Amino acid sequence: MEVWNAFIVSIASVWADSGFTGFTIGNAIMIVVGCVLLWLAFAKEFEPLLLAPIAFGCIMANFPKTGFFEDPGVMLAIHYGITNEIFPPLIFLGVGAMTDFGPLIANPSTILMGAAAQIGVFISLAGAMLLGFDVKEAASIGIIGGADGPTAIYLTIKLAPHLLGAIAVAAYSYMSLVPLIQPPVMKLFTTKKEREVVMEQLRPVSKFERIVFPVVCTIVISLLLPPVASLIGMLMLGNLFRESGVTDRLSDTSQNSLINIVTIFLATGTGMTMSAHDFLNAKTLEIIVLGLIAFIGGTAGGVWFGKIMYWISGGKVNPLIGSAGVSAVPMAARVSQIVGQKFKPGNFLLMHAMGPNVAGVIGTAVAAGTMLAMLS
Amino acid sequence: MGHPVTTNPFIIMLINMTVVFVVLYGLSLLIRLIHVIDPTKNAEEHAEAAAVPAAMPAAPVVDNSAVVAVIAAAVAAYGCSEANIVTIRPAGSPVWTNTGRLSGIQNTVN
Repeated sequence: MEVWNAFIVSIASVWADSGFTGFTIGNAIMIVVGCVLLWLAFAKEFEPLLLAPIAFGCIMANFPKTGFFEDPGVMLAIHYGITNEIFPPLIFLGVGAMTDFGPLIANPSTILMGAAAQIGVFISLAGAMLLGFDVKEAASIGIIGGADGPTAIYLTIKLAPHLLGAIAVAAYSYMSLVPLIQPPVMKLFTTKKEREVVMEQLRPVSKFERIVFPVVCTIVISLLLPPVASLIGMLMLGNLFRESGVTDRLSDTSQNSLINIVTIFLATGTGMTMSAHDFLNAKTLEIIVLGLIAFIGGTAGGVWFGKIMYWISGGKVNPLIGSAGVSAVPMAARVSQIVGQKFKPGNFLLMHAMGPNVAGVIGTAVAAGTMLAMLS
Repeated sequence: MGHPVTTNPFIIMLINMTVVFVVLYGLSLLIRLIHVIDPTKNAEEHAEAAAVPAAMPAAPVVDNSAVVAVIAAAVAAYGCSEANIVTIRPAGSPVWTNTGRLSGIQNTVN
């Protein structure tokens, strides 16, 4: 009998300590959401490298009593890396090492398309404030339109950390949906004649220009907007590794091993913010809708500025490259290429679209820095 | 954290878009300035000019007749005669052009 009693007490104790006692319908819903995201990542191949760890983090975030964010351990370390702005600049280091700034240097006038595409950020900001979000929350929501995950996380942590889960998920989801969201907007605002413009071959860019530009850019932007110095600095450092010609090992590590490791941590940590308690509310839905508006607004802004450049240049600029101004390197540039080729096979816009694409990354960081200076 | 400078969304939009445009336009001017002061610019142009004559004599040595015959047959398969072929020359292959071609081929295949 004593054995039986001990057995019953032990089982009751295990049950009382188990996650089942704290498990809610909300947790179940979020675990299903995580499974759907996994399916999208693996079966539909929507940005699987990002979506898979986000989805699994979402599932893990909905196990009660894990103590992930209270007890020291890997989960707390990942959370620390996100909330203390460690991972976003490291991602930028890899992005810089992977990105060719040559097209931007060869045709600097395309940089303004990257500026124009930031309009989506502020359309969404205004919309968020009309819906009742305070100005800091609205700025964090608006930055989704920059289509730049690390910058969105960086700004949100500083201005509205309680919205991190919804904003990060919206930003990365829309980045993975760029090939679906952008083409209808690009077609809506351009004529057939504009879409068929073949742009001139870009001039070669010397090694001197490739090395001096990142250094000058870092100095100018860091002095002007110190809050984003770590983002811009790491982006440009990564690019210097790539272009110097004598730091191949550092470049290789930045654009392969390091960015892959940091992506695992950043994406899993982002998913870990998707607990039912923080995620299942009306605000999340509003953020996701506002993020879509920001994305569409940014694409339209870039295309419209492309049209202005088309008129000013006498028809030498294809407005389709303007949509790449929303960042999302290099996906948005590839969308310009694909849409351009649909209307004129043999038209190669990829190189030209990389100019506004890189400018979009810098422009989003500048917009984030300006909002931090104004609002924090 | 301090207080926001303003909470009017339209003023925030105006100020931010102005700053973004001014900063990026400033960067575009700096890019042009870097190009103007680039001390290696002339040296690279001379190097390219010098490299072209050196490569010229090597061209006739290569026998491309088989390649030309294959291309002519492929063109003929599309209904053109050999008389329509004016010239066959190797295409320049910068990295970006190749990337664009590969992307186009993949889109066609997929």
